[in-house]
Amino acid sequence: MRIRRFNKVEQLFHLFLIITFLVQAGTGFSRFFITTAWGKKLSYLFGGYDTSLLIHKWTGGLMIAGFLLHLIYLLSRVNWQNLGKSIFGPDSLVPNLQDARHLWQRILWLLGLGPPPKLERWAYWEKFDYWAVFWGLPLLAVTGLMLIYPLQTCRILPGWALNVAALLHRAEAILAVLYIFLVHFFIGHLRPSSFPMNEAMFAGTVEMEEAMAEKPAWVERLKEEGKLEPATAKPPALWYRIIYYIFGYSALVFGVYLLVNGIIYSPYVRLH
Amino acid sequence: MEKWINRRKGLIPVMIGLLAAMLLFPQAAFSQEEVASAIRRYKEREASTGYYEQYEVRPRHERPFVSIPGVRQGIFPYSPSAAQVRTRNRMADSHLGIKFYRHRRCEDCHIKETRDIHTTRANLTCRQCHGGEPVAGINFYYSPLNPLRRHAYVCAKCHEGSSASFAAYVVHEPAAGAPATKESFPLLYYSYWLMLLLLAGTLAFFIPHSIMVGLRELFWKKGKGGE
Repeated sequence: MRIRRFNKVEQLFHLFLIITFLVQAGTGFSRFFITTAWGKKLSYLFGGYDTSLLIHKWTGGLMIAGFLLHLIYLLSRVNWQNLGKSIFGPDSLVPNLQDARHLWQRILWLLGLGPPPKLERWAYWEKFDYWAVFWGLPLLAVTGLMLIYPLQTCRILPGWALNVAALLHRAEAILAVLYIFLVHFFIGHLRPSSFPMNEAMFAGTVEMEEAMAEKPAWVERLKEEGKLEPATAKPPALWYRIIYYIFGYSALVFGVYLLVNGIIYSPYVRLH
Repeated sequence: MEKWINRRKGLIPVMIGLLAAMLLFPQAAFSQEEVASAIRRYKEREASTGYYEQYEVRPRHERPFVSIPGVRQGIFPYSPSAAQVRTRNRMADSHLGIKFYRHRRCEDCHIKETRDIHTTRANLTCRQCHGGEPVAGINFYYSPLNPLRRHAYVCAKCHEGSSASFAAYVVHEPAAGAPATKESFPLLYYSYWLMLLLLAGTLAFFIPHSIMVGLRELFWKKGKGGE
């Protein structure tokens, strides 16, 4: 038996984010590393140095649109009659005291000093994943827009703000790329309970046993509220599984390719 | 008529002087902005640059480099060698008197300045902005790179519509994390260290965390399978 974890809209948002993020990482890296042999090769994939920038700008625009759509979606999901519970309740991604407690219990468990925490629907590291994108994307968007429209920006800000914007854009991009390709990929693919691939985001559902093992408090709450029955779902079709395995692994391979080469070639990029 | 001239003899040298001054001062560049209205001058367009009620362009107060407090004080604020460096960027020939200058290349001395985006990415050469020999100091009054007219004479060559504010972009960016940058470009320095701390902090927590989770789950699963 499987229970639903993500609805279709959330899955679409994630798919959109995967594609746009990889395009931005690829085009951004091809420009950042253009002075190295690998960077040149990478830029050919996107039509060269100038076309890379063009793709980067348009994809950035798409990401901003996606973020605004996501904000609208968030507003539609808030239960305005019961605002407090809706924002700080267990179905919300807003961090709360319980997360700090879970973090502490989990560290103890990792060291073999206690039982695992009874996690709710969203674990603290999943919340971190979400909020990292949530504040990282606007930072990249604002600094990116400043760099796309430098003359207009300089009407309100002095020109040296562009130096700072370029630095912030690069630094946040490097942070995002390292986090996603190291930590997020490890959690999603490599750790034993996910290996070879955590299908929750693509299937939209998780195995009952899996949920019981990692998120017991969530399943218990669903049972208590009588929502377990409506939350059950059919397993994904085989053809669909094959598609998302191929897609997921392509994304993984491309990400690791960017990460490994980025690390190898980073000493040769001289931009101060 | 003669009487009139004799009475105003003192005016003639003044008028000659004014004529000479008109010839000597540089002509307005075509790209310089014009006053839009006597009352509301560029309020919207150049709000970032400060006061336009009195002056057409006022770029210099926007330099991000702040002077070091306690150093520029007294009648002789700098040592003789430091003063020489500081006066050089006001000279018509900034390399005047440098030994074997003719046999040297820019990057022999200005190596750091060849490593920013304008040179490594846009493939600009030094001469394209700084001009040919003799290279004028950037603060020399008639230099095209003087902040007074830099946006119009240099930046606008590629960046069409460039304003004085836009020209305050620091082309030869200092190393963002270097201690000296804390004094010269504080915002860049603090942004750099803030982002680096964020990066190091995030990875320092999540990489060991992921490895521990991986190991723990490996043993946990094994234990479970054995039961």
